[in-house]
Amino acid sequence: MKRHLADLRAAISRVFASAAYIALAGVLGLVAFLAAVWFPNFGLIAEVLATQAPLGDKLSIALGLLGGIATNFSLLAAAYTIAIAVLFGLCTAMITYLLKRKRTAAAGRHIAVGSGGIASGALGVGCAACGSLLLGGALPFTGAAAALAALPLGGAEFGILGVVLLFVSLLLVSRAIARPADCALPTAEAGRQ
Amino acid sequence: MTRTAVSRGILAAFMLFAAGAGAQTTPRGATDAALVERVKEAVLKELRESRALEDAIDAGVERYVERQRAEAAQRARAEAESRAGAMRPVSRQRDHIRGDAGAPVTLVEYSDFECPFCKSFHATMKKVVDESKGQVRWVYRHFPLDQIHPVKARKEAAASECAAELGGNEAFWKFADRFFELTPSNNRTDLDAVLPRIAREIGLDETKFASCLASGRHDRRVEEDVQNALATGGTGTPWTLVVSKGGKTYPLSGAQPLAVVKQLVDLANRDR
Repeated sequence: MKRHLADLRAAISRVFASAAYIALAGVLGLVAFLAAVWFPNFGLIAEVLATQAPLGDKLSIALGLLGGIATNFSLLAAAYTIAIAVLFGLCTAMITYLLKRKRTAAAGRHIAVGSGGIASGALGVGCAACGSLLLGGALPFTGAAAALAALPLGGAEFGILGVVLLFVSLLLVSRAIARPADCALPTAEAGRQ
Repeated sequence: MTRTAVSRGILAAFMLFAAGAGAQTTPRGATDAALVERVKEAVLKELRESRALEDAIDAGVERYVERQRAEAAQRARAEAESRAGAMRPVSRQRDHIRGDAGAPVTLVEYSDFECPFCKSFHATMKKVVDESKGQVRWVYRHFPLDQIHPVKARKEAAASECAAELGGNEAFWKFADRFFELTPSNNRTDLDAVLPRIAREIGLDETKFASCLASGRHDRRVEEDVQNALATGGTGTPWTLVVSKGGKTYPLSGAQPLAVVKQLVDLANRDR
């Protein structure tokens, strides 16, 4: 684990030395967070934006809905929603770094793990207790909400699994960045042996 | 601009065609083929040089995108109108109303007595009505989520209707306030202890209350509320429709912050 964390530190300092990757991670993390918090109220936001009200008022309502993270999420759901958004931003920026260095095969593997994390996290977003979670919203009365609510943590398991998968993906990407599997040039000493 | 360029291409083609038709010295078939070829080349050259074709395609794509956008906006408006239309009109006889019954803005809340977010949102709604200076009326309707709060949520909804039957609108709101104060949500309520206690505290006849609850005579009404919640687009609780006097509806999902509800009320108030 120590080695993984050392790789993570090395990879983060290498990738985020560039302001472009910091911006990419920030924007993606923010988009993921907004999508999660606004998801139940996309219809309302569209409705409000279509009114003749001053732009400031419209934006104020949209931004005010972000306060829903405190009032419409349990503490656990809020914690993993934020963690998923942050990890998603970091992971995607680091995979982009790998792709830009043509290490496509390594990046592809991590995209697969990361996607699993995002998909799992999406299932856990929201409030399983009141059926306003993503899956419950998409399939409200087909038993999906009931199935999730029957789980010990009421569906939060998916959010936690999402965090774990994204973190694993982050560690794997970090290893690929910090310790590339390229063939190293033989040293002079190794050549003599 | 684009049309002019295209017209110029066609004009060039006609002129060439006319010139060719007036100078027939070679056999007819060969002349026709050569003429068609020259016309084609001239038209293509004109279109290429003037970029008329590209401009026409660009304009066509823009028109298509604009049309798609307008259709999507129209669909969204139609959906919103159909949602608003699906909401059962507020009735002073049937509905439980808090605040000024003639207020310009109506908040129709579809709620579940076992939902922890409905519990916290209940306090938010109380503040909105109390601080609105008569601008808001709050209509409470039932939306028990049987799949995640089986049996209890629906029974509690029926119990609140029994309170209304025995003590009127005021008793309904006293029941709802006290119920959310006393109970832990998430189907952990001890119904046998809590319901009689609330009935006693708010001054209802306990025997009549128990008999009403056992009769199941309000079950149909609760189900009608559930069906209405679904018809208006509700997928979870609390589900609230903010309705202006003119009928404009804003759908609010979840226990959102007090400031947002107040801003929506202001917006609806401007839609008179």
